[in-house]
Amino acid sequence: MTAFLALLRRDLLVASRNAFPLLMATLTQPILVVLVFGNILPRLGLVADEFRTVMVPGLMSITMLMAGVQGVLMPLVTDLSGSREVDERLLAPLSVMAVAAEKIVAGAIHAALAGLIALPAMMLLMHQVAGVAVHPNWLALGPLVLLCGLLSAAFGMTLGARVQPRFSGLLFAVILGPMMLFGCAYYPYQALSVLGLFQYVFLLNPLVFMSEAMRVAVTPNVPHMSMALLLFGLVGCVLGFGWIGARTFERRTIL
Amino acid sequence: MSAVLEVTDLVKTYPAARKSPAVEAVRGISFRVEAGELFGLLGPNGAGKSTTLGCITTLIRPTSGRIVVDGVDMARDPVAGKHRIAVVPQVRNLDRDLTVREVLTYHGRYFGLPAAERESRAGRLLEQMQLADRAQAKPLELSGGLQQRLLIARALMHDPKVLLLDEPTIGLDPQARRLLWETLLELHRQGLTQILTTHYMEEADRLCDRVAIIDHGRILTVDTPDALKASLPGGHLLDLDARSPSPLGPVLEGIAGVARVETAPDGNGDGYVRLRLFVEPGDGLLDRVLHAVRDARGDLRHISLQPPSLEDVYVHLTGKELRE
Repeated sequence: MTAFLALLRRDLLVASRNAFPLLMATLTQPILVVLVFGNILPRLGLVADEFRTVMVPGLMSITMLMAGVQGVLMPLVTDLSGSREVDERLLAPLSVMAVAAEKIVAGAIHAALAGLIALPAMMLLMHQVAGVAVHPNWLALGPLVLLCGLLSAAFGMTLGARVQPRFSGLLFAVILGPMMLFGCAYYPYQALSVLGLFQYVFLLNPLVFMSEAMRVAVTPNVPHMSMALLLFGLVGCVLGFGWIGARTFERRTIL
Repeated sequence: MSAVLEVTDLVKTYPAARKSPAVEAVRGISFRVEAGELFGLLGPNGAGKSTTLGCITTLIRPTSGRIVVDGVDMARDPVAGKHRIAVVPQVRNLDRDLTVREVLTYHGRYFGLPAAERESRAGRLLEQMQLADRAQAKPLELSGGLQQRLLIARALMHDPKVLLLDEPTIGLDPQARRLLWETLLELHRQGLTQILTTHYMEEADRLCDRVAIIDHGRILTVDTPDALKASLPGGHLLDLDARSPSPLGPVLEGIAGVARVETAPDGNGDGYVRLRLFVEPGDGLLDRVLHAVRDARGDLRHISLQPPSLEDVYVHLTGKELRE
């Protein structure tokens, strides 16, 4: 446990030193989307006003996904492709699975903070814009943001350990891009009932649970999926991706 | 003396992957390293040295075999084992986001050193490795030689029983290499057990108490450098470049004082061949050799007498030059 906490402390120290670039990387996307979809398009009458409310939790979940995936995936890809900084961690007195778990926890903290920063930033940008109904449920927000952070980081670990470093550039185009489009970030899951059975295919996308979780937390008035399904999906994805990611990490690092 | 490291019947086979067959990197290696010894694994690239070292450090999972460090079975209790070893890897994997001093203090944190001990050890090691004036620099701002010394300082932070060094002087300029040798010898004098891999014969010769010569995943021999060199027939080497109508080998082999003759497989195209005579230097030996060549109506272009090096032992054992 000492080694685990020491590694976590190191990661948080390094992240705090890089706070400004990390903040920029985290906030650029949601701020620009809010400007275009929350401001320009509604004024042109091209999007309904309700869309602004719907997209706030969605942008939070996308921000967290990107932060978690990047926080875990990028260092992992550099490590596996040659820098081998990870070896010092693997030689520290803790199990390889614990090293993987630490990376996920560090990524989750990063992602959760990103989500919590994105929310007020977006609210600030739209605070005098009509039709925005964001009423955060602060009690639910904490635990749900934490779960979403863990999910993003565990997913990042799975991707980072599975994908060959030379293909890592493709990840964003082939995996993360489609995930964001089909992740219920820009529309609530309940509304997909118009698609019939096809609605259930969306449940394969972990981002759906994150978007719905944020919907529960910040726009409780918008219809969302049942809490049972939501928690089952979130916890299941955290455990599933966490396990697969850590095992793959072990296989990739210990030859 | 007691063994600090015992490797028994170590085998590592990398499983076949797409387009590449299985690789038997280590095929049954056993050796013991005594407390305080500086032990060398010498062999060409691809001989299995780094794989052996990787298995000892737990970064490579052995296919079979047993590794015990200071009484701890590395497979059964890797966490306890990791407290006892320290590694200076071939790839310089310093934490580039920390300062030089933090590299040491954070390593201490990972190993649970209390704050006061962490700071005092880091300070002492920075002095010892002549890094004190660079304590606030980032590792990547250091020269290769300094980075290497920082890697050693980092390894010593948690007071290991065994220091494992994988090709520690590769890529260093001659001066930095000499300085590193001095550092390792100083640690040796302080009683630290060290195991290093190298493909530099001179390095193994100068540093190591005992050397295991490895090729194709097997240990060919283990002994002190002097004993290995003395094991060559005769004990000295006489190299000739000669040309003659009939092969000189059989003629030279009959001379008193010549224990053995090896003829290089092919000449230079100009009729001269390289002959290596394993000789016992004594009165009149060179005279006898010169006469024998002349009697065979041969011509001698070059002759040199030298004490054997580890490289000669290696070539003698494997029948080939060290592959780079």
